[in-house]
Amino acid sequence: MNARTLRALAPLIAVALALIVPLAVSDRFLLKVFTFCGINALVVVGLALLFGYAGQVSLGHAAFMGLGAYTSAYCTVELGWPWLLGFVAAGVVAALGGLILAIPSLRLKGYYLAMATLGFGLLMSLAFIQAEPITGGVDGFSGIPFPSIGPVEFRSASSLYWLVWGAVGIAVLVAHNITSLRPGRAMRALHGSELGAQACGVDIVGVKVRTFVVSALMAGLAGALYAGVVGFISPSLFTLTASITFIAMTIVGGTSSLAGPILAAVALTLVQYSDALIPGLPRETAQTIQSYQEDIYGLAIVLIVIFAPRGLAGLWKRRSAGNEAS
Amino acid sequence: MTLLQVRNVTRRFGGLTAVDDVSFDVYEGTVKALIGPNGAGKSTLFNALTGFDRPDEGSVVFEGEELVGRKPREVVRVGLARTFQNTQLFEEMTAGENVMVGSQARQRRGFTTAMLRLPNAVAEDREAREDASRLLRLIGIEEWIDVPAADLPAGIRRLVEIARALATRPRLLLLDEPAAGLNATETRELVQTLFRVRDSGITVVIVEHDMGLVMEVSDEIVVLDRGAKIAEGPPRMIQKDPAVIAAYLGGEVDDDV
Repeated sequence: MNARTLRALAPLIAVALALIVPLAVSDRFLLKVFTFCGINALVVVGLALLFGYAGQVSLGHAAFMGLGAYTSAYCTVELGWPWLLGFVAAGVVAALGGLILAIPSLRLKGYYLAMATLGFGLLMSLAFIQAEPITGGVDGFSGIPFPSIGPVEFRSASSLYWLVWGAVGIAVLVAHNITSLRPGRAMRALHGSELGAQACGVDIVGVKVRTFVVSALMAGLAGALYAGVVGFISPSLFTLTASITFIAMTIVGGTSSLAGPILAAVALTLVQYSDALIPGLPRETAQTIQSYQEDIYGLAIVLIVIFAPRGLAGLWKRRSAGNEAS
Repeated sequence: MTLLQVRNVTRRFGGLTAVDDVSFDVYEGTVKALIGPNGAGKSTLFNALTGFDRPDEGSVVFEGEELVGRKPREVVRVGLARTFQNTQLFEEMTAGENVMVGSQARQRRGFTTAMLRLPNAVAEDREAREDASRLLRLIGIEEWIDVPAADLPAGIRRLVEIARALATRPRLLLLDEPAAGLNATETRELVQTLFRVRDSGITVVIVEHDMGLVMEVSDEIVVLDRGAKIAEGPPRMIQKDPAVIAAYLGGEVDDDV
């Protein structure tokens, strides 16, 4: 099999593998871990558009996830809305947040944009604590109903898994359509050279704003899914650490790629749940891995930036390019 | 016919007048060169013409439309495309993809149509792809189409940037020092490309240091010195102009050209 057919088949194989997981995995906790992988993957698909394609860094993406999670929780529990409506509202509110964060991106670049988005993230994580009447403060928000679409309720571990990965699938399809057509080239052009992009008639303001909005929307929907899957959310989920984790996944995954970041999101999420993944793993070892989790992420970023600046996707592209040449 | 009218353009940076009351016309189908010593204000003028900078005074009229105050992307949509002294290619994209971005200047489909992969977004994409390979073939560099810009040799980079500018379907192409950093062979190829561009009916304005190239390709030359226009005319006349010789060419002009 040559590299070209392999590359064409890879998405199909990935989809097939993702679909059969619940049939092969009987452990409910393990299935939940894979569901969390999907939720993180959804955030990372959006971040890959923003950072990997358009080159705009965000160190505040957990805030969008939080916005989505709290919106969905509030709409379903306090307002009694159907889950699907709350899910849509979560997307809308997060997208509005993305619109707000897009404004500094029009003036700031690189480290300065990183700082502005970091500030936004910190501000929002404080807001989640302070807005007690809505968010429940530090105690969090509990009793969030399971996701449901009309009469269909997603209660079982496998149905939640399919719901989440179904959302990931749609997000990937949308993201792939964006990146493979005109807007994707505009985003990559922006990343490469803003002057060059302007000279080509690219509306750089429009592209930045739209990318921020789409990216925030995906994070918001991921947040709403998380709230529905777990039934409980608290401010400690949507902190700077979570934002850094997402950007780590995106960097490790690589630029101008969707598959790379998704793979990295799954792999780095699994690090947190090594005890569920490896059956015979002693408790202490699992705890050690968990307590060094952030160091593992940090190390992964450092290694990737030094040895493979274009991430996993870059390694794969180089390998398949080499195969085609030989 | 006058395609571009530059009238009394002045640009000051603090106490320095980088461009001082410069006026000239560019006629359709011709090649006009802007020359002058370093710091003469050529690039500043260039940026003022293309919307990358706003002159303090004066007007730039293209086919009856005022360009001063317009954004770069509006200027390119009107029909003025430019290249840069330091090539502004998208390094991680291939030569072909770079040229495809140029097509964006005349495309309309946005995020929503792309997200849903509507037929007109796909059609636009195919059109941009065909345009890119046609332009690279026209310039004679189609064998580089799948090579990332970062891996291209300097001469090819210049030509890719020109192809990208042509993909915007300009009436006027502005080239900022296209021969900078090129060797003799690459410069020959550039000259060939310039003639081909001119012959296809596109008007060219070129800022250039390479005197041989300027004398060969241009129909008319504007000479700037310390921001002001000191001479204007066909190459033969410019070579003999005492003010130009004093300011820029020195006494060696006859040996040099």
